[in-house]
Amino acid sequence: MTQRKPNQPVISKHNKPSNRKREQSAVNHKAWLRHHRDTALDSLLRLVRQPVSSALTWLVIAISLTLPTLFYLALTSLQQQTVQWQEGGQITLYLRQTVSEADGERLTDELNARAEVLRAHYISAEEAWASFRETLNLSRSPFATENNPLPASIVVIPTQQNNQQLEVLRILIDGLPEVEEVQLDLAWIERLNRFIDLIYRIVAGLAALLGIAVLLVVGNTIRLAIESRKAEIQVVKLLGATEAFVRRPFIYLGLWYGLFGGLAAWMLVSLVIWWLSGPLAAFLSTYGLTAPIAWLSVFETLLLILAAILVAILGARIALWRHLKDAEPQ
Amino acid sequence: MIRFDQVSKRYEGGHEALSSVNLHIQKGEMVFLTGHSGAGKSTLLKLITRTETCSSGQVRVNNQLLHRISRRQVPFFRRHLGIVHQDHQLLMDHTVYDNVALPLVIAGEHPKDISRRVRAALDKVGLLKREKYRPIQLSGGEQQRVGIARAVVKKPVILLADEPTGNLDPALSKDIMNLFAEFNRVGTTVLIASHDLGLIARLNYRVLSLNQGKLMTTPFDGAQS
Repeated sequence: MTQRKPNQPVISKHNKPSNRKREQSAVNHKAWLRHHRDTALDSLLRLVRQPVSSALTWLVIAISLTLPTLFYLALTSLQQQTVQWQEGGQITLYLRQTVSEADGERLTDELNARAEVLRAHYISAEEAWASFRETLNLSRSPFATENNPLPASIVVIPTQQNNQQLEVLRILIDGLPEVEEVQLDLAWIERLNRFIDLIYRIVAGLAALLGIAVLLVVGNTIRLAIESRKAEIQVVKLLGATEAFVRRPFIYLGLWYGLFGGLAAWMLVSLVIWWLSGPLAAFLSTYGLTAPIAWLSVFETLLLILAAILVAILGARIALWRHLKDAEPQ
Repeated sequence: MIRFDQVSKRYEGGHEALSSVNLHIQKGEMVFLTGHSGAGKSTLLKLITRTETCSSGQVRVNNQLLHRISRRQVPFFRRHLGIVHQDHQLLMDHTVYDNVALPLVIAGEHPKDISRRVRAALDKVGLLKREKYRPIQLSGGEQQRVGIARAVVKKPVILLADEPTGNLDPALSKDIMNLFAEFNRVGTTVLIASHDLGLIARLNYRVLSLNQGKLMTTPFDGAQS
Protein backbone atom coordinates (compact mmCIF):
# COMPACT_ATOMS: atom_id res chain seq x y z
CA MET A 1 0.00 0.00 0.00
CA THR A 2 1.55 3.31 -1.04
CA GLN A 3 0.14 6.53 0.22
CA ARG A 4 0.77 9.83 -1.53
CA LYS A 5 2.64 12.38 0.55
CA PRO A 6 0.65 15.56 1.16
CA ASN A 7 2.92 17.84 -0.88
CA GLN A 8 3.40 15.54 -3.82
CA PRO A 9 1.74 16.80 -7.02
CA VAL A 10 -1.34 14.86 -8.03
CA ILE A 11 -0.24 14.45 -11.63
CA SER A 12 3.39 13.93 -12.42
CA LYS A 13 4.58 12.87 -15.84
CA HIS A 14 7.46 10.78 -14.66
CA ASN A 15 5.75 8.95 -11.92
CA LYS A 16 7.81 5.80 -11.98
CA PRO A 17 6.07 3.82 -9.27
CA SER A 18 2.70 4.33 -10.92
CA ASN A 19 4.14 3.31 -14.28
CA ARG A 20 5.51 0.20 -12.74
CA LYS A 21 2.20 -0.43 -11.10
CA ARG A 22 0.43 -0.04 -14.43
CA GLU A 23 2.85 -2.44 -16.10
CA GLN A 24 2.33 -4.86 -13.26
CA SER A 25 -1.43 -4.62 -13.63
CA ALA A 26 -1.14 -5.16 -17.40
CA VAL A 27 0.92 -8.29 -16.70
CA ASN A 28 -1.68 -9.44 -14.17
CA HIS A 29 -4.43 -8.76 -16.65
CA LYS A 30 -2.69 -10.86 -19.29
CA ALA A 31 -2.10 -13.64 -16.80
CA TRP A 32 -5.75 -13.47 -15.84
CA LEU A 33 -6.89 -13.73 -19.47
CA ARG A 34 -4.43 -16.57 -20.06
CA HIS A 35 -5.79 -18.45 -17.10
CA HIS A 36 -9.36 -17.93 -18.32
CA ARG A 37 -8.44 -19.29 -21.74
CA ASP A 38 -6.54 -22.27 -20.31
CA THR A 39 -9.29 -23.06 -17.82
CA ALA A 40 -12.05 -22.84 -20.44
CA LEU A 41 -10.10 -25.21 -22.68
CA ASP A 42 -9.28 -27.58 -19.84
CA SER A 43 -12.93 -27.73 -18.75
CA LEU A 44 -13.99 -28.43 -22.33
CA LEU A 45 -11.41 -31.23 -22.61
CA ARG A 46 -12.67 -32.74 -19.38
CA LEU A 47 -16.17 -32.91 -20.90
CA VAL A 48 -14.92 -34.36 -24.16
CA ARG A 49 -12.91 -37.03 -22.33
CA GLN A 50 -16.12 -38.37 -20.80
CA PRO A 51 -18.36 -38.20 -23.86
CA VAL A 52 -21.15 -40.48 -22.63
CA SER A 53 -21.83 -38.87 -19.26
CA SER A 54 -21.41 -35.38 -20.77
CA ALA A 55 -23.83 -36.18 -23.59
CA LEU A 56 -26.39 -37.52 -21.10
CA THR A 57 -26.28 -34.27 -19.15
CA TRP A 58 -26.64 -32.27 -22.35
CA LEU A 59 -29.61 -34.39 -23.33
CA VAL A 60 -31.34 -33.84 -19.98
CA ILE A 61 -30.82 -30.09 -20.33
CA ALA A 62 -32.02 -30.23 -23.94
CA ILE A 63 -35.21 -32.10 -23.09
CA SER A 64 -35.99 -29.68 -20.26
CA LEU A 65 -35.61 -26.75 -22.64
CA THR A 66 -37.35 -28.37 -25.60
CA LEU A 67 -40.78 -28.67 -24.00
CA PRO A 68 -41.32 -24.98 -23.14
CA THR A 69 -39.75 -23.94 -26.44
CA LEU A 70 -42.21 -26.09 -28.40
CA PHE A 71 -45.15 -24.72 -26.40
CA TYR A 72 -43.91 -21.22 -27.06
CA LEU A 73 -43.68 -21.93 -30.78
CA ALA A 74 -47.16 -23.47 -30.87
CA LEU A 75 -48.55 -20.45 -29.09
CA THR A 76 -46.98 -17.81 -31.32
CA SER A 77 -48.16 -19.60 -34.43
CA LEU A 78 -51.63 -20.04 -32.91
CA GLN A 79 -51.76 -16.29 -32.34
CA GLN A 80 -50.80 -15.62 -35.95
CA GLN A 81 -53.63 -17.91 -37.03
CA THR A 82 -56.24 -16.35 -34.78
CA VAL A 83 -55.71 -12.98 -36.46
CA GLN A 84 -57.21 -14.61 -39.55
CA TRP A 85 -59.84 -16.58 -37.67
CA GLN A 86 -61.05 -13.46 -35.93
CA GLU A 87 -62.55 -12.19 -39.17
CA GLY A 88 -65.34 -14.61 -38.30
CA GLY A 89 -66.06 -12.46 -35.26
CA GLN A 90 -68.63 -9.88 -36.25
CA ILE A 91 -71.25 -7.51 -34.91
CA THR A 92 -74.67 -7.27 -36.56
CA LEU A 93 -76.59 -3.98 -36.15
CA TYR A 94 -80.34 -4.35 -36.85
CA LEU A 95 -81.66 -0.96 -37.94
CA ARG A 96 -85.06 0.54 -37.06
CA GLN A 97 -87.81 0.16 -39.69
CA THR A 98 -87.96 3.95 -39.91
CA VAL A 99 -84.38 4.22 -41.16
CA SER A 100 -84.35 4.63 -44.96
CA GLU A 101 -82.05 2.69 -47.23
CA ALA A 102 -80.06 5.90 -48.00
CA ASP A 103 -79.59 6.62 -44.27
CA GLY A 104 -78.49 3.01 -43.74
CA GLU A 105 -75.89 3.27 -46.51
CA ARG A 106 -74.65 6.58 -45.06
CA LEU A 107 -74.28 5.08 -41.59
CA THR A 108 -72.34 2.16 -43.12
CA ASP A 109 -69.94 4.59 -44.81
CA GLU A 110 -69.51 6.43 -41.51
CA LEU A 111 -68.69 3.19 -39.72
CA ASN A 112 -66.27 2.20 -42.48
CA ALA A 113 -64.38 5.44 -41.93
CA ARG A 114 -63.71 4.59 -38.25
CA ALA A 115 -60.38 3.12 -37.19
CA GLU A 116 -61.96 0.45 -34.96
CA VAL A 117 -63.85 -0.97 -37.92
CA LEU A 118 -62.11 -3.22 -40.36
CA ARG A 119 -65.09 -3.56 -42.67
CA ALA A 120 -68.80 -2.63 -42.50
CA HIS A 121 -71.32 -4.04 -44.92
CA TYR A 122 -74.94 -2.88 -45.42
CA ILE A 123 -77.66 -5.50 -45.97
CA SER A 124 -81.01 -4.03 -47.01
CA ALA A 125 -84.30 -5.55 -45.86
CA GLU A 126 -84.94 -6.95 -49.36
CA GLU A 127 -81.53 -8.62 -49.57
CA ALA A 128 -82.01 -10.16 -46.14
CA TRP A 129 -85.48 -11.45 -47.08
CA ALA A 130 -84.22 -12.93 -50.36
CA SER A 131 -81.32 -14.73 -48.69
CA PHE A 132 -83.62 -15.91 -45.86
CA ARG A 133 -86.13 -17.42 -48.26
CA GLU A 134 -83.40 -19.02 -50.30
CA THR A 135 -81.79 -20.57 -47.27
CA LEU A 136 -85.06 -22.06 -46.05
CA ASN A 137 -86.16 -22.89 -49.57
CA LEU A 138 -89.42 -20.96 -49.11
CA SER A 139 -89.73 -19.42 -52.57
CA ARG A 140 -92.57 -21.71 -53.55
CA SER A 141 -94.28 -21.82 -50.19
CA PRO A 142 -97.30 -19.73 -49.20
CA PHE A 143 -94.97 -17.46 -47.18
CA ALA A 144 -93.43 -16.25 -50.41
CA THR A 145 -96.04 -13.59 -50.85
CA GLU A 146 -96.03 -12.48 -47.23
CA ASN A 147 -94.70 -9.04 -46.33
CA ASN A 148 -91.03 -8.86 -45.48
CA PRO A 149 -90.72 -8.96 -41.66
CA LEU A 150 -86.93 -8.53 -41.62
CA PRO A 151 -85.14 -5.26 -40.84
CA ALA A 152 -82.15 -3.86 -42.72
CA SER A 153 -78.81 -4.48 -41.01
CA ILE A 154 -75.12 -3.57 -41.01
CA VAL A 155 -72.48 -6.24 -40.45
CA VAL A 156 -69.39 -4.81 -38.77
CA ILE A 157 -66.02 -6.62 -38.54
CA PRO A 158 -63.86 -4.97 -35.93
CA THR A 159 -60.19 -4.24 -36.51
CA GLN A 160 -58.94 -4.69 -32.96
CA GLN A 161 -59.84 -7.95 -31.43
CA ASN A 162 -58.71 -7.91 -27.87
CA ASN A 163 -61.44 -7.84 -25.30
CA GLN A 164 -61.04 -4.27 -24.05
CA GLN A 165 -60.97 -2.74 -27.51
CA LEU A 166 -64.05 -4.73 -28.48
CA GLU A 167 -65.83 -3.29 -25.45
CA VAL A 168 -65.07 0.26 -26.63
CA LEU A 169 -66.61 -0.46 -30.01
CA ARG A 170 -69.66 -2.03 -28.39
CA ILE A 171 -70.34 1.11 -26.31
CA LEU A 172 -69.99 3.28 -29.42
CA ILE A 173 -72.53 1.20 -31.33
CA ASP A 174 -74.96 1.10 -28.42
CA GLY A 175 -75.15 4.90 -28.63
CA LEU A 176 -76.31 5.00 -32.26
CA PRO A 177 -79.96 6.14 -32.54
CA GLU A 178 -80.59 4.29 -35.83
CA VAL A 179 -79.87 0.94 -34.25
CA GLU A 180 -82.76 -1.13 -32.93
CA GLU A 181 -80.80 -4.11 -31.69
CA VAL A 182 -77.18 -5.30 -31.61
CA GLN A 183 -76.19 -8.91 -32.03
CA LEU A 184 -72.69 -9.71 -31.00
CA ASP A 185 -71.06 -12.72 -32.49
CA LEU A 186 -67.92 -12.18 -30.45
CA ALA A 187 -68.22 -14.53 -27.52
CA TRP A 188 -65.93 -17.10 -29.07
CA ILE A 189 -63.22 -14.50 -29.73
CA GLU A 190 -63.38 -13.56 -26.10
CA ARG A 191 -63.08 -17.22 -25.17
CA LEU A 192 -60.17 -17.68 -27.56
CA ASN A 193 -58.34 -14.69 -26.11
CA ARG A 194 -58.86 -15.92 -22.58
CA PHE A 195 -57.76 -19.40 -23.62
CA ILE A 196 -54.54 -18.00 -25.10
CA ASP A 197 -53.91 -16.02 -21.90
CA LEU A 198 -54.33 -19.23 -19.93
CA ILE A 199 -51.96 -21.16 -22.18
CA TYR A 200 -49.39 -18.36 -21.86
CA ARG A 201 -49.52 -18.74 -18.11
CA ILE A 202 -49.11 -22.49 -18.37
CA VAL A 203 -46.13 -22.13 -20.72
CA ALA A 204 -44.48 -19.56 -18.45
CA GLY A 205 -45.00 -21.81 -15.43
CA LEU A 206 -43.69 -24.82 -17.30
CA ALA A 207 -40.65 -22.88 -18.48
CA ALA A 208 -39.92 -21.79 -14.90
CA LEU A 209 -40.26 -25.35 -13.57
CA LEU A 210 -38.09 -26.86 -16.27
CA GLY A 211 -35.59 -24.01 -15.83
CA ILE A 212 -35.30 -25.08 -12.20
CA ALA A 213 -34.82 -28.66 -13.43
CA VAL A 214 -31.86 -27.52 -15.57
CA LEU A 215 -30.50 -25.64 -12.55
CA LEU A 216 -30.68 -28.79 -10.43
CA VAL A 217 -29.21 -31.06 -13.08
CA VAL A 218 -26.24 -28.78 -13.69
CA GLY A 219 -25.89 -28.09 -9.97
CA ASN A 220 -25.73 -31.79 -9.20
CA THR A 221 -23.28 -32.49 -12.01
CA ILE A 222 -21.01 -29.69 -10.80
CA ARG A 223 -21.35 -30.96 -7.24
CA LEU A 224 -20.01 -34.34 -8.37
CA ALA A 225 -17.18 -32.60 -10.24
CA ILE A 226 -16.26 -30.65 -7.08
CA GLU A 227 -16.43 -33.86 -5.07
CA SER A 228 -14.08 -35.68 -7.46
CA ARG A 229 -11.57 -32.83 -7.45
CA LYS A 230 -11.72 -32.11 -3.74
CA ALA A 231 -8.11 -33.11 -3.09
CA GLU A 232 -6.95 -30.91 -5.93
CA ILE A 233 -8.95 -27.95 -4.58
CA GLN A 234 -7.41 -28.40 -1.13
CA VAL A 235 -3.92 -28.48 -2.63
CA VAL A 236 -4.31 -25.39 -4.78
CA LYS A 237 -5.83 -23.48 -1.88
CA LEU A 238 -2.77 -24.21 0.25
CA LEU A 239 -0.61 -23.04 -2.66
CA GLY A 240 -2.31 -19.65 -2.53
CA ALA A 241 -5.15 -19.99 -5.02
CA THR A 242 -7.93 -17.40 -4.67
CA GLU A 243 -11.59 -18.38 -4.47
CA ALA A 244 -12.06 -17.13 -8.03
CA PHE A 245 -9.20 -19.33 -9.23
CA VAL A 246 -10.77 -22.37 -7.59
CA ARG A 247 -14.25 -21.60 -8.91
CA ARG A 248 -13.22 -20.81 -12.47
CA PRO A 249 -12.96 -24.34 -13.89
CA PHE A 250 -16.39 -25.24 -12.53
CA ILE A 251 -18.01 -22.07 -13.86
CA TYR A 252 -16.60 -22.92 -17.28
CA LEU A 253 -17.85 -26.48 -16.87
CA GLY A 254 -21.32 -24.99 -16.32
CA LEU A 255 -20.90 -22.74 -19.33
CA TRP A 256 -20.05 -25.67 -21.59
CA TYR A 257 -22.94 -27.74 -20.25
CA GLY A 258 -25.27 -24.81 -20.96
CA LEU A 259 -23.89 -24.16 -24.44
CA PHE A 260 -24.05 -27.76 -25.59
CA GLY A 261 -27.35 -28.35 -23.81
CA GLY A 262 -28.79 -25.29 -25.58
CA LEU A 263 -27.49 -26.45 -28.96
CA ALA A 264 -28.92 -29.92 -28.35
CA ALA A 265 -32.26 -28.32 -27.40
CA TRP A 266 -32.27 -26.39 -30.66
CA MET A 267 -31.62 -29.59 -32.61
CA LEU A 268 -34.33 -31.42 -30.69
CA VAL A 269 -36.85 -28.63 -31.34
CA SER A 270 -36.01 -28.64 -35.05
CA LEU A 271 -36.39 -32.41 -35.12
CA VAL A 272 -39.80 -32.29 -33.46
CA ILE A 273 -41.02 -29.55 -35.81
CA TRP A 274 -39.85 -31.56 -38.81
CA TRP A 275 -41.50 -34.68 -37.37
CA LEU A 276 -44.86 -32.98 -36.76
CA SER A 277 -45.16 -30.48 -39.60
CA GLY A 278 -46.40 -33.01 -42.21
CA PRO A 279 -49.24 -34.56 -40.17
CA LEU A 280 -50.17 -31.13 -38.75
CA ALA A 281 -50.57 -29.61 -42.21
CA ALA A 282 -52.70 -32.60 -43.27
CA PHE A 283 -54.85 -32.29 -40.15
CA LEU A 284 -55.39 -28.54 -40.52
CA SER A 285 -56.20 -28.83 -44.19
CA THR A 286 -59.28 -30.88 -43.27
CA TYR A 287 -60.54 -27.67 -41.62
CA GLY A 288 -59.55 -25.67 -44.69
CA LEU A 289 -56.64 -24.11 -42.79
CA THR A 290 -53.02 -23.80 -43.79
CA ALA A 291 -50.37 -24.85 -41.28
CA PRO A 292 -48.26 -22.03 -39.90
CA ILE A 293 -44.53 -22.10 -40.59
CA ALA A 294 -43.05 -22.14 -37.11
CA TRP A 295 -39.29 -22.25 -36.98
CA LEU A 296 -37.18 -20.55 -34.35
CA SER A 297 -35.77 -17.29 -35.66
CA VAL A 298 -32.05 -16.62 -35.36
CA PHE A 299 -32.78 -14.27 -32.47
CA GLU A 300 -34.95 -16.82 -30.69
CA THR A 301 -32.29 -19.51 -31.20
CA LEU A 302 -29.61 -17.28 -29.70
CA LEU A 303 -31.95 -16.43 -26.85
CA LEU A 304 -32.57 -20.14 -26.17
CA ILE A 305 -28.84 -20.92 -26.07
CA LEU A 306 -28.06 -17.85 -23.97
CA ALA A 307 -30.78 -18.77 -21.51
CA ALA A 308 -29.37 -22.30 -21.27
CA ILE A 309 -25.87 -20.95 -20.59
CA LEU A 310 -27.07 -18.48 -17.96
CA VAL A 311 -29.15 -21.07 -16.13
CA ALA A 312 -26.27 -23.57 -16.23
CA ILE A 313 -23.78 -21.02 -14.88
CA LEU A 314 -26.24 -20.14 -12.14
CA GLY A 315 -26.52 -23.85 -11.31
CA ALA A 316 -22.72 -24.09 -11.14
CA ARG A 317 -22.52 -21.04 -8.88
CA ILE A 318 -25.11 -22.46 -6.50
CA ALA A 319 -23.27 -25.79 -6.34
CA LEU A 320 -19.98 -23.98 -5.67
CA TRP A 321 -21.54 -21.84 -3.00
CA ARG A 322 -22.97 -24.93 -1.29
CA HIS A 323 -20.05 -27.32 -1.62
CA LEU A 324 -16.79 -25.38 -1.87
CA LYS A 325 -16.82 -24.95 1.89
CA ASP A 326 -16.33 -28.70 2.26
CA ALA A 327 -13.09 -28.47 0.32
CA GLU A 328 -11.10 -26.26 2.67
CA PRO A 329 -7.55 -27.53 3.23
CA GLN A 330 -7.23 -29.94 6.17
CA MET B 1 9.86 -14.64 10.89
CA ILE B 2 7.45 -16.82 12.83
CA ARG B 3 6.36 -15.66 16.25
CA PHE B 4 3.79 -17.18 18.63
CA ASP B 5 2.67 -15.21 21.68
CA GLN B 6 0.64 -17.12 24.25
CA VAL B 7 -1.06 -19.10 21.52
CA SER B 8 -3.77 -21.60 22.44
CA LYS B 9 -5.92 -23.62 20.15
CA ARG B 10 -9.06 -25.28 21.35
CA TYR B 11 -11.10 -27.34 18.92
CA GLU B 12 -14.84 -27.67 19.04
CA GLY B 13 -15.63 -30.24 21.66
CA GLY B 14 -13.11 -28.77 24.10
CA HIS B 15 -9.94 -30.58 23.09
CA GLU B 16 -7.01 -28.22 23.62
CA ALA B 17 -4.40 -28.95 20.95
CA LEU B 18 -2.03 -26.13 21.92
CA SER B 19 -1.84 -24.25 25.19
CA SER B 20 0.03 -20.99 25.75
CA VAL B 21 2.73 -21.58 23.20
CA ASN B 22 5.47 -18.98 22.85
CA LEU B 23 8.06 -19.34 20.13
CA HIS B 24 10.16 -17.24 17.86
CA ILE B 25 11.85 -18.50 14.73
CA GLN B 26 14.17 -15.96 13.17
CA LYS B 27 14.70 -15.21 9.52
CA GLY B 28 17.07 -17.72 7.94
CA GLU B 29 16.78 -20.24 10.79
CA MET B 30 16.22 -23.94 10.36
CA VAL B 31 14.24 -25.51 13.18
CA PHE B 32 12.83 -28.94 13.92
CA LEU B 33 9.54 -29.47 15.66
CA THR B 34 9.13 -32.80 17.42
CA GLY B 35 6.62 -34.51 19.62
CA HIS B 36 4.44 -37.60 19.76
CA SER B 37 1.53 -37.82 17.39
CA GLY B 38 -1.26 -35.78 18.89
CA ALA B 39 1.17 -33.44 20.61
CA GLY B 40 0.03 -30.55 18.44
CA LYS B 41 2.65 -30.44 15.67
CA SER B 42 0.08 -30.42 12.87
CA THR B 43 -2.04 -27.84 14.65
CA LEU B 44 0.96 -25.57 15.01
CA LEU B 45 1.71 -25.84 11.29
CA LYS B 46 -1.95 -25.24 10.43
CA LEU B 47 -1.87 -22.04 12.47
CA ILE B 48 1.16 -20.87 10.47
CA THR B 49 -0.53 -21.63 7.12
CA ARG B 50 -3.74 -20.00 8.37
CA THR B 51 -5.66 -23.21 7.75
CA GLU B 52 -6.77 -22.79 11.34
CA THR B 53 -6.91 -19.70 13.52
CA CYS B 54 -5.85 -19.67 17.14
CA SER B 55 -8.40 -19.46 19.96
CA SER B 56 -6.28 -17.00 21.92
CA GLY B 57 -2.91 -15.31 21.59
CA GLN B 58 -1.17 -13.95 18.53
CA VAL B 59 0.50 -15.60 15.56
CA ARG B 60 2.78 -13.41 13.49
CA VAL B 61 4.23 -14.83 10.27
CA ASN B 62 6.29 -12.87 7.74
CA ASN B 63 5.42 -9.65 9.59
CA GLN B 64 1.70 -10.26 9.34
CA LEU B 65 -0.62 -10.81 12.26
CA LEU B 66 -2.62 -13.78 11.07
CA HIS B 67 -5.82 -13.04 12.95
CA ARG B 68 -5.88 -9.64 11.26
CA ILE B 69 -5.75 -10.79 7.65
CA SER B 70 -9.10 -11.32 5.94
CA ARG B 71 -10.27 -14.40 4.10
CA ARG B 72 -9.59 -12.62 0.82
CA GLN B 73 -5.98 -11.94 1.76
CA VAL B 74 -5.22 -15.48 2.91
CA PRO B 75 -4.30 -16.77 -0.60
CA PHE B 76 -1.84 -13.92 -1.08
CA PHE B 77 -0.33 -14.56 2.32
CA ARG B 78 0.10 -18.27 1.54
CA ARG B 79 2.02 -17.49 -1.65
CA HIS B 80 5.00 -16.58 0.54
CA LEU B 81 5.03 -20.05 2.07
CA GLY B 82 6.32 -23.33 0.70
CA ILE B 83 4.61 -26.37 2.17
CA VAL B 84 5.79 -29.99 2.03
CA HIS B 85 3.35 -32.67 3.17
CA GLN B 86 4.02 -36.16 4.47
CA ASP B 87 1.93 -37.67 1.69
CA HIS B 88 3.31 -35.03 -0.71
CA GLN B 89 -0.22 -34.15 -1.97
CA LEU B 90 0.67 -34.25 -5.65
CA LEU B 91 -2.01 -34.13 -8.33
CA MET B 92 -1.93 -37.64 -9.72
CA ASP B 93 -3.55 -36.84 -13.07
CA HIS B 94 -0.96 -34.18 -13.90
CA THR B 95 2.67 -34.53 -14.95
CA VAL B 96 5.58 -33.80 -12.63
CA TYR B 97 6.14 -30.58 -14.58
CA ASP B 98 2.53 -29.42 -14.14
CA ASN B 99 2.63 -30.23 -10.43
CA VAL B 100 5.73 -28.15 -9.86
CA ALA B 101 4.39 -25.34 -12.07
CA LEU B 102 1.14 -25.07 -10.10
CA PRO B 103 2.21 -22.36 -7.59
CA LEU B 104 3.50 -20.23 -10.48
CA VAL B 105 0.30 -20.73 -12.52
CA ILE B 106 -1.74 -19.75 -9.47
CA ALA B 107 0.36 -16.61 -9.05
CA GLY B 108 -0.21 -15.77 -12.73
CA GLU B 109 3.43 -15.94 -13.85
CA HIS B 110 4.34 -15.81 -17.52
CA PRO B 111 4.65 -19.25 -19.21
CA LYS B 112 8.28 -18.55 -20.21
CA ASP B 113 9.23 -17.74 -16.62
CA ILE B 114 7.32 -20.76 -15.44
CA SER B 115 9.21 -23.23 -17.61
CA ARG B 116 12.56 -21.76 -16.62
CA ARG B 117 11.80 -21.82 -12.92
CA VAL B 118 10.18 -25.26 -12.92
CA ARG B 119 13.26 -26.72 -14.63
CA ALA B 120 15.53 -24.98 -12.11
CA ALA B 121 13.52 -26.43 -9.21
CA LEU B 122 13.45 -29.93 -10.72
CA ASP B 123 17.17 -29.71 -11.38
CA LYS B 124 17.78 -28.85 -7.74
CA VAL B 125 15.95 -31.96 -6.51
CA GLY B 126 17.57 -34.06 -9.25
CA LEU B 127 14.43 -34.90 -11.21
CA LEU B 128 14.91 -32.86 -14.38
CA LYS B 129 14.65 -36.00 -16.52
CA ARG B 130 11.32 -36.98 -14.94
CA GLU B 131 9.32 -33.85 -15.83
CA LYS B 132 7.00 -35.66 -18.25
CA TYR B 133 6.28 -38.55 -15.84
CA ARG B 134 3.17 -38.84 -13.72
CA PRO B 135 3.75 -38.98 -9.95
CA ILE B 136 2.43 -42.55 -9.86
CA GLN B 137 5.38 -43.66 -12.04
CA LEU B 138 7.90 -42.38 -9.48
CA SER B 139 9.23 -43.94 -6.26
CA GLY B 140 8.18 -42.61 -2.84
CA GLY B 141 11.41 -40.65 -2.41
CA GLU B 142 11.09 -39.15 -5.88
CA GLN B 143 7.48 -38.15 -5.24
CA GLN B 144 8.56 -36.40 -2.05
CA ARG B 145 11.24 -34.55 -4.00
CA VAL B 146 8.62 -33.41 -6.51
CA GLY B 147 6.65 -32.12 -3.52
CA ILE B 148 9.73 -30.22 -2.34
CA ALA B 149 10.34 -28.81 -5.83
CA ARG B 150 6.75 -27.56 -5.85
CA ALA B 151 7.23 -25.98 -2.42
CA VAL B 152 10.40 -24.11 -3.36
CA VAL B 153 9.69 -23.19 -7.00
CA LYS B 154 8.36 -19.77 -5.98
CA LYS B 155 11.32 -19.11 -3.71
CA PRO B 156 9.23 -18.88 -0.54
CA VAL B 157 10.47 -16.96 2.47
CA ILE B 158 9.34 -19.78 4.74
CA LEU B 159 9.49 -23.49 4.01
CA LEU B 160 7.24 -25.68 6.17
CA ALA B 161 7.40 -29.45 6.15
CA ASP B 162 5.05 -31.85 7.95
CA GLU B 163 6.75 -35.23 8.46
CA PRO B 164 8.53 -35.00 5.11
CA THR B 165 10.42 -38.25 5.72
CA GLY B 166 7.55 -40.12 7.37
CA ASN B 167 7.27 -42.72 4.62
CA LEU B 168 10.92 -42.96 3.59
CA ASP B 169 13.81 -45.22 4.57
CA PRO B 170 16.75 -43.70 6.54
CA ALA B 171 19.05 -43.15 3.55
CA LEU B 172 16.35 -41.32 1.57
CA SER B 173 15.35 -39.37 4.69
CA LYS B 174 18.89 -38.11 5.03
CA ASP B 175 18.90 -36.97 1.39
CA ILE B 176 15.67 -35.08 1.91
CA MET B 177 16.97 -33.38 5.05
CA ASN B 178 20.11 -32.37 3.19
CA LEU B 179 17.91 -30.78 0.55
CA PHE B 180 16.15 -28.70 3.21
CA ALA B 181 19.52 -27.70 4.65
CA GLU B 182 20.59 -26.55 1.20
CA PHE B 183 17.57 -24.31 0.85
CA ASN B 184 18.21 -23.00 4.33
CA ARG B 185 21.77 -22.08 3.35
CA VAL B 186 20.49 -19.66 0.70
CA GLY B 187 18.38 -17.85 3.29
CA THR B 188 15.03 -19.63 3.45
CA THR B 189 13.53 -20.02 6.90
CA VAL B 190 12.77 -23.71 7.40
CA LEU B 191 10.49 -25.40 9.92
CA ILE B 192 10.27 -29.18 9.82
CA ALA B 193 7.86 -31.21 11.93
CA SER B 194 9.21 -34.70 12.44
CA HIS B 195 9.19 -37.46 15.00
CA ASP B 196 12.34 -39.06 13.57
CA LEU B 197 14.40 -38.21 16.66
CA GLY B 198 17.41 -40.28 15.61
CA LEU B 199 17.77 -38.34 12.39
CA ILE B 200 17.23 -34.98 14.09
CA ALA B 201 19.83 -35.74 16.74
CA ARG B 202 22.47 -36.26 14.08
CA LEU B 203 21.74 -32.87 12.54
CA ASN B 204 22.83 -29.81 14.41
CA TYR B 205 19.75 -27.61 14.48
CA ARG B 206 17.47 -26.08 17.07
CA VAL B 207 14.76 -28.46 18.18
CA LEU B 208 11.37 -27.43 19.54
CA SER B 209 9.53 -30.21 21.26
CA LEU B 210 5.81 -30.33 21.91
CA ASN B 211 4.18 -32.43 24.56
CA GLN B 212 0.41 -32.46 24.96
CA GLY B 213 0.07 -29.02 23.44
CA LYS B 214 2.84 -27.42 25.48
CA LEU B 215 6.22 -26.34 24.17
CA MET B 216 8.94 -28.05 26.26
CA THR B 217 11.97 -26.02 25.26
CA THR B 218 12.38 -22.32 25.85
CA PRO B 219 12.12 -20.25 22.68
CA PHE B 220 15.84 -19.65 22.18
CA ASP B 221 17.67 -22.65 23.59
CA GLY B 222 19.32 -25.39 21.61
CA ALA B 223 22.09 -25.22 19.10
CA GLN B 224 21.97 -22.49 16.52
CA SER B 225 23.50 -23.34 13.17
